[in-house]
Amino acid sequence: MAAPRIIRSCCFLVGGERFAVSAADVAEVLRDGRITRVPHAPPAVLGLVHLRGRIVPVIDMRRQLGLPDGVAGGTHLVLRVADEWYSLLVDEMLDVLEVPADRIEPPARTASEPPFDAVTGVFAAAESLVHFLDPQRIMQSLARPREPFLQRQGVLHGG
Amino acid sequence: MSDNREFIEEFLVESGENLDQLDRDLLALEERPDDPQRLASIFRTVHTIKGNSGFFGFSKLGALTHSGEHLLGRLRDGTIRLDDRVTGTLYSMVDAVRSILQTIHHTGVEGEADFRELTQTLAAVAAGDAAVPAVPLITPQAAVPVEPPVQTAVRTGGGAAGTAVPDDAPAPTPAPSAAAQPIVPVPVPDAARPATPPADSSIRVDVGLLASILDLVGELVLARNELRSLPTADPALEGVIHRINTVTNSLQSAAVKTRMQPIEHVFSKFPRTVRDLAVSCGREVQLVIDGADTELDRTLIESIRDPLTHLVRNAIDHGIEPPATRAAHGKPRAGLLQLRAFHESGQVTIEVQDDGAGIPVEAVRAKAVARGLLEADAAAALPDDRVLQFIFEPGFSTAARVTSVSGRGVGMDVVKTNIEAIGGTVDIASRPGRGTTVRVRVPLTLAIIPALVVRCGTERFAIPQAAVGELVSLRADGGPRIEGLGDATVIRVRGRLVPVIFLDTFLGLRTVPAARDTGTVVLVRVDDHEFGLVVDGTQTDVSAPDAAAGDLRTGVRHPEAASLSTIVVKPIGGLLAQLGIYSGATVLGDGGVVLILDLRGILRAADLPPSQRHPPATAGSAAGGTDTYLVCRTDAGRRIALPLDAVVRLEQFDRRSLQTAGGRQLVQRGEGFTPVIDADTLLAPPGPPPAPAAADGGAVNLIVLDDRRGGIGLAVGRILDVAAAESALQPSLAATGVAGTLAVGGQATELLDLSVIAAHAAGGTGHAAARAPANALSS
Repeated sequence: MAAPRIIRSCCFLVGGERFAVSAADVAEVLRDGRITRVPHAPPAVLGLVHLRGRIVPVIDMRRQLGLPDGVAGGTHLVLRVADEWYSLLVDEMLDVLEVPADRIEPPARTASEPPFDAVTGVFAAAESLVHFLDPQRIMQSLARPREPFLQRQGVLHGG
Repeated sequence: MSDNREFIEEFLVESGENLDQLDRDLLALEERPDDPQRLASIFRTVHTIKGNSGFFGFSKLGALTHSGEHLLGRLRDGTIRLDDRVTGTLYSMVDAVRSILQTIHHTGVEGEADFRELTQTLAAVAAGDAAVPAVPLITPQAAVPVEPPVQTAVRTGGGAAGTAVPDDAPAPTPAPSAAAQPIVPVPVPDAARPATPPADSSIRVDVGLLASILDLVGELVLARNELRSLPTADPALEGVIHRINTVTNSLQSAAVKTRMQPIEHVFSKFPRTVRDLAVSCGREVQLVIDGADTELDRTLIESIRDPLTHLVRNAIDHGIEPPATRAAHGKPRAGLLQLRAFHESGQVTIEVQDDGAGIPVEAVRAKAVARGLLEADAAAALPDDRVLQFIFEPGFSTAARVTSVSGRGVGMDVVKTNIEAIGGTVDIASRPGRGTTVRVRVPLTLAIIPALVVRCGTERFAIPQAAVGELVSLRADGGPRIEGLGDATVIRVRGRLVPVIFLDTFLGLRTVPAARDTGTVVLVRVDDHEFGLVVDGTQTDVSAPDAAAGDLRTGVRHPEAASLSTIVVKPIGGLLAQLGIYSGATVLGDGGVVLILDLRGILRAADLPPSQRHPPATAGSAAGGTDTYLVCRTDAGRRIALPLDAVVRLEQFDRRSLQTAGGRQLVQRGEGFTPVIDADTLLAPPGPPPAPAAADGGAVNLIVLDDRRGGIGLAVGRILDVAAAESALQPSLAATGVAGTLAVGGQATELLDLSVIAAHAAGGTGHAAARAPANALSS
């Protein structure tokens, strides 16, 4: 058998937990950016940020993971997946992690419900667990059809 | 190998173009079988494909084109003559080549498909007919001038036409061009125009490269905007900024032009499509193409290809009648199908017109009722041009399939959806026995557009200028103001009542509209549907460099200069696009990101009733205020309507402020009193009047009708809507106070008799003793 594949990932901190996404998906890291909010967007979508000519939706990872809102600021981890660009707003960027594929274990069974279904694997690092996220699943959970938002409110005439 | 791959891609692109040329040439050759240049061009094209396929080792392609070349050689030297069998076989070869090329494109290899039979047919046609005494059709002396290609701007009846004769028809007429002549004059051949487009002045550029150039120019525009918004006192710097500005403008328009392509790229397929469809449907079709040189953004060209193909298919399959039927109706045997494209007020209009049977309106009407889209009585009263619009209803046609609605509407909802997705519109007009015209309007480009930037709360939004009609500023002290109560808020603009949407509450930015008395109403028009967006104001800062208030319609009634910006439309990603109310975003000169409102989506989300989507002006319904009605519900639940023209104002009073004097109810408005008539009292059958509504508080919605001497107030339960009538008035003979019944908003609605209201107001409580004729409404 060949040596196990090495998974290269970018690690970051959200609400005290460590997460990681494949380094191949990361386009760049942005320290801060002016966020334009998007009315009626899903709650986890904070808004849009301008990244050198590209307009990128920002996903607040605290909200996405059901954690309480953190302090203002944070770091944009800009991903490019399947030609769609978006930014994960995380508390803090950590290092790049190289893990042999066979050291990553499947997530606990309780993690099958959104938003935790985006966790594809867990790696027991020396200090703490690292949760591997699949960005596409994050997007899918956000894109899940909701009830037509405008029907919920009597929006037409603002009365 | 990768090098080879690149060559193969180039070969595929080039061959694709060659095949399109082949289609055109073959059609032209059918017209003029004795055109040696055309035949030579065909021969060359096939030879080129054959040569390249040999080079790349595509043996099937090689064998096929070799047989084709052989057949063409026989044609060229006059051994065989061109007939339907020959053209049919050649068309089959073109299709086979196309399919092989596609397989190569997707898989890199020729695939499993077997073309040996076709190869044999090609050989048999070449050989079999050789036995027939050869009648040389091609005489070198007959120097026939080269026909202009089908795709040129001139009316090219000749090349595009084809009196389609089924391939297997016995004893076909060998001179189709003769049949085409009486209908469309073949233009004087333009000698200066070569049969094939000149290749020298153009180069092939990768589309991705063009796209990235345009992106970069967009970046430059943004940086330029930012630069211009910076304050500077240095004259040298100002000069440089000015130069950069000028160059950027020119560069931008040049870059946008690189994305432009003549619509010919879509149209050029149609002669062949039409020919094949005509053959398979047993029709004779004369195709006339106009304005094929009309340019629009290439991304849009791709988007209109399928809808237009669909419309053409519909026109032939369901519009144009079989030749015998046409002859029986005294029409020419060949149906006339016209494709027209032209620029019109910043948009491209494309018309697909046939002179076929038209759409059976009654079948559509019945279908609409059967599908529960409207009630039977409303449907019966709905004008024909409105009924036709049901063809665009989702799923309207698929269930009906071809026969019951003559199938003319098959997939029309998809056509509409696709066109609307690129910001276009579709409308349809049809006359029984005379034919159908479908008009598609699409924007020139979606990349860089002028837009109005508005403020709303702490946010800014961009509204595409193409939709903006005018701006109305609101002031608490007179001037235009927002009227209306409950769910029907309107603004009165020159006698029209236009429904308005408060952008702040619509977007959830505020819970209570803040700009009711101080903001600006942006009147916009989408699909012939006008509405107002109430915003806090327009952006007036200098960061929008291309402010050009003059671009707005002359009706601008805004004290400040309306600020139009040239914005670069950026996608916002599928996640946010699916909200359906933003069409993109842009970056303004100050670096801020601004969402672009999707007005059509907002219209849809705001759920303005479909009845308000007025039919296009071209549809022929009498324009005018009496077509529009204020729809209300009385306390007793009756649905009533009033001509909008008659409505002066909508007001709301506390019920306790109503006073009774001399048996009449009055309310104080300003300095005078206005008599108030309860709509239910007015409508009550003769007899004891209904118990008056409890006088303890609550709001009364008052429609003020006639402003002379204090006017007349009509008290209703709820204002529902402002909408156009969908039917003519069906006069009522019985009901008191009702002039008749109308279809409004898809529901039967009672139209009040204004004269009875007036009589009520004047005469006290009696029940319209002196009823005027019911038609006294037409004020």
